[in-house]
Amino acid sequence: MQADDLARALAPKLGGNFLGAEPFAGTAGRVRFGRDGALDLFRTVRDDLGFAHLSMVGAIDWVDHREVFYVVWSDGAKQYALLSTDLPAADPHVESASAVWPSANWHEREAWELVGIEFDHHPDLRHLLTPDGYAFHPLLRSFRLHEPENLEVKSRHV
Amino acid sequence: MSEMWINMGPQHPMTHGLWNLRVRIDGEMILDVDPEMGYLHRGIEKISEDRHYNEVITLMDRCCYVAGLSWEHLYILAAEEALHIEPPERAKYLRMMCDEFQRIGSHIMWYSAFVQDIGLMTPFLYGMRDRDLILDLFQSYTGARMTYEYMRVGGVRNDLPLGFTDQARKVLDWLIDRFREYDQLCLGSTIFHRRCDQLGVLKANDCITHGVTGPMLRSAGVKRDLRKDRPYAAYDQVDFDVAVADGADVTARYLVRMEEMRQSVRIVRQTLDWLDRHPGPVIAENLPRWLGAPYAPIGDEGYLLKRRYPKGVGFSSVEEPHGEAQAYVVNEGGEHPYRVKFRSPVFANISAARQYLVGYHVADIPPIMGSVDICVGEVDR
Repeated sequence: MQADDLARALAPKLGGNFLGAEPFAGTAGRVRFGRDGALDLFRTVRDDLGFAHLSMVGAIDWVDHREVFYVVWSDGAKQYALLSTDLPAADPHVESASAVWPSANWHEREAWELVGIEFDHHPDLRHLLTPDGYAFHPLLRSFRLHEPENLEVKSRHV
Repeated sequence: MSEMWINMGPQHPMTHGLWNLRVRIDGEMILDVDPEMGYLHRGIEKISEDRHYNEVITLMDRCCYVAGLSWEHLYILAAEEALHIEPPERAKYLRMMCDEFQRIGSHIMWYSAFVQDIGLMTPFLYGMRDRDLILDLFQSYTGARMTYEYMRVGGVRNDLPLGFTDQARKVLDWLIDRFREYDQLCLGSTIFHRRCDQLGVLKANDCITHGVTGPMLRSAGVKRDLRKDRPYAAYDQVDFDVAVADGADVTARYLVRMEEMRQSVRIVRQTLDWLDRHPGPVIAENLPRWLGAPYAPIGDEGYLLKRRYPKGVGFSSVEEPHGEAQAYVVNEGGEHPYRVKFRSPVFANISAARQYLVGYHVADIPPIMGSVDICVGEVDR
């Protein structure tokens, strides 16, 4: 499967939310999509294209916006594909993929606490790696690594 | 009976590391589980943003402390793609040998811990004895037994010492006999079967929807191994079989890992033969100096000048002993990676804990979680 195949299959389903598919070394390609079409895209990619396995959800804090990317794998094509969407830094939210791929659950929890992405309709958006009540998003570029924090850590189960 | 939540961990013999398994029980029955991670979170992805490309390798050894070389390999593959560097052929074979020795070492470590979980003390000691031979081999060419820092962007740090391949073959001959002994100790024991058969069943469909990979997925009958499906290094040049079983239970995971060790021995033997016949450079020529080619004088222009490099993004995926690990490295042209993201296989395998624990008894938790092969260092990063 090539980037063109992805574009041919996805463009009619997504309409204006399909922003292009480009080649990406070692994978079938990278699909860029608008966040409003997220659920449609996930369903099409899983059911029509056969990418049944969601491997990873990651987020990147760029200078002027944030990016969420999904890595999916197809057992039929034996290939990865990347899906990525850009979110404005002021309002970084996107539909959760947990309804389509349950494996997204923990990856999205991690992206939420470390990069500050809000996942709508996530079943269980709690802290995973950082303590409950930790009010910082360490993987943002604005996070100061060497400044002391005024940090209160709550115990999880009192 | 009344229901209650109990904490198994963060300090519990079952956990093999710092994490907490919260279990809702009614009498002896497990009704719900909620794994809690984060006790070992060191922010490796954040620290990586502040380091040169080769300095991240140090962190990879700390990422998974029983499979450091596999994680180095993972990061190196992504970094080379992001920086547009191609390693020499011999380096690829050396990395493959590291990977497979590491897989045997990691599986023996798993075996030792797992059998101790189900109450067999003797195999634990046998396993630790045999793993030491592999650590001795690592020490002879990397200088370390646990934190190797052996691979480099563009190749590996140094070549093998004289006589290494003969010594390695002796170790393999010794190990292949020991695997038979391991099987006799476990599969020949009724107690082992009564504690492990039909336990922690996770069928192929559930594995795929919940992102489970590695020996757990292959024990459910799915023949998926990145070394075959998406060959990296030189895995397309060697001959081996993918280990699968169809029980989807604890015993099946045991069988898959045992067979994987035998296949790893096959791969290492072929790799050693190749290495004997093909001497050559082990690190790419003309690396930018700040990448730390072995001949670069530190303090020379390399570290002082701001080098620009074509931007790039690297994505790599490696069949690590625990499953499928992935790395995503963003190079924005500077000296440090802009963003590094790792996917830990154990992270996904634990996140599915509810699927393979609910409905069993509390006493079944140690064998089931033991069969997952947990390394908390790579889950928390």
